[in-house]
Amino acid sequence: MNNLCADIGYKSINHVGEQLCGDHVEIVEQSDHSTVIVLADGLGSGVKASILSTLTSKIISTMMAAGLPLEECVSTIAATLPVCSVRGVAYSTFTILHIINNETAEIIQYDNPRVIVLRDNQNFDYPTTEMNLDGKKILKSTVRLQEGDIFIAMSDGCPHAGIGTAYNFGWKREDIIDFMETMSVTGLTAKNLSTLLVDECDKLYGQKPGDDATACIVKIRKRQPMNLLFGPPSNRDDCDRMMSLFFSKEGKHIICGGTTSSIAAKYLGKPLIPTLSYEKSDIPPVASLEGVDLVTEGVITVNRVLEYAKDYLGDNEMYSHWNFRRDGASLICQLLFEEATDINFYVGRAINPAHQNPDLPINFNIKMNLVGELSDCLRQMGKRIKVSYF
Amino acid sequence: MKITICIGSSCHIKGSRQIVEALSAFVSEHHLEDKIELGGTFCMDRCQEGVCVTVDDEFYSLTPETVSDFIKNRISPEVSEFIQ
Repeated sequence: MNNLCADIGYKSINHVGEQLCGDHVEIVEQSDHSTVIVLADGLGSGVKASILSTLTSKIISTMMAAGLPLEECVSTIAATLPVCSVRGVAYSTFTILHIINNETAEIIQYDNPRVIVLRDNQNFDYPTTEMNLDGKKILKSTVRLQEGDIFIAMSDGCPHAGIGTAYNFGWKREDIIDFMETMSVTGLTAKNLSTLLVDECDKLYGQKPGDDATACIVKIRKRQPMNLLFGPPSNRDDCDRMMSLFFSKEGKHIICGGTTSSIAAKYLGKPLIPTLSYEKSDIPPVASLEGVDLVTEGVITVNRVLEYAKDYLGDNEMYSHWNFRRDGASLICQLLFEEATDINFYVGRAINPAHQNPDLPINFNIKMNLVGELSDCLRQMGKRIKVSYF
Repeated sequence: MKITICIGSSCHIKGSRQIVEALSAFVSEHHLEDKIELGGTFCMDRCQEGVCVTVDDEFYSLTPETVSDFIKNRISPEVSEFIQ
């Protein structure tokens, strides 16, 4: 095992006028450190395409994850997919990315635009072999992984973007590579890279996509631990134990909560210096404390982080809110969503009597729910989460 | 003179931001930066009485509505000689 991990993110836009997307991305993580990612593009658009692509990606990811050979997966799909009454075929193209032990990537492609691989922010031409399964031409490649490798899988809605309007022949593969090479240098997450790519397609389509477009990006990166302390322990005698556990851990340290940070300041014997700068935001200001990477207020800040987390997993529209701002919530988002891969939560269950006021929008239950919901969201982002209560 | 305003959760919800803004506006309007030092703190352990503000070590409980009176009656007299 190495200390690499795969950051996976995807985004889709729908054919204009459709409520469902005809592309589908399915991710299955297995216990033996292998991950199967399938991007399927169903024939046509709307409900029918959505059913085809969902079936295809579900079947392939489940069968591949169970270790079945590719031939069986493909023949199962061919035998299972409902036949389109208009066109007389059952058809969904697919791309499979199989990440094994964070050491090798297997790329299997059927009729989707060829996966783009960027290594050291440059296009990397990987070798492919052609197979013929049931008359289907399937491309297969194996790539040894390196830190910083970026795999870009797309549905044909991406290279077709702007056909007849912005470009004569759509957004050419070379131009997409150019675009992504530039973007990849910035160190953005897989989710944000896929958002940029698909938003660019949307722009080229003039906000009226002529096809469903999906980008699924896998970025190979180093594991990065992070620790977050939230709330004082329910028993005052546990303060030192909680602090020593928290500060003994590798990685960056974030503290949320006024009382909590005062306890930490006392433990470290360093002054806690709050600022009064609101950074054009309604989030309380941050403070500084030597030995801690970020100190913020508690419930209000974390509540905003959760809002951003939910949006990040969905449409990712508030990305520009948190990615460039310097308020407490935005800074936590940058650390947790972008930098961290393994997050340890240290949550204190002390009840602040001042918060148990029915006139205030915060109370103890809300605080505990926040932690639960936030760790769920972070898990969905593919991060490893550990929560300890005190 | 040192004025410290609590910016913890409770006081934030009760409007400490407006109070910080009113005080910093007063300070910059009258160029009192070297007479009045504004600072924040996370908790004064008197959350029920928020928004908690101290002037040197004297405690005051303010709301966004009372901040202008507070400036007029408590802060201005002490710095009147420096106000043009």
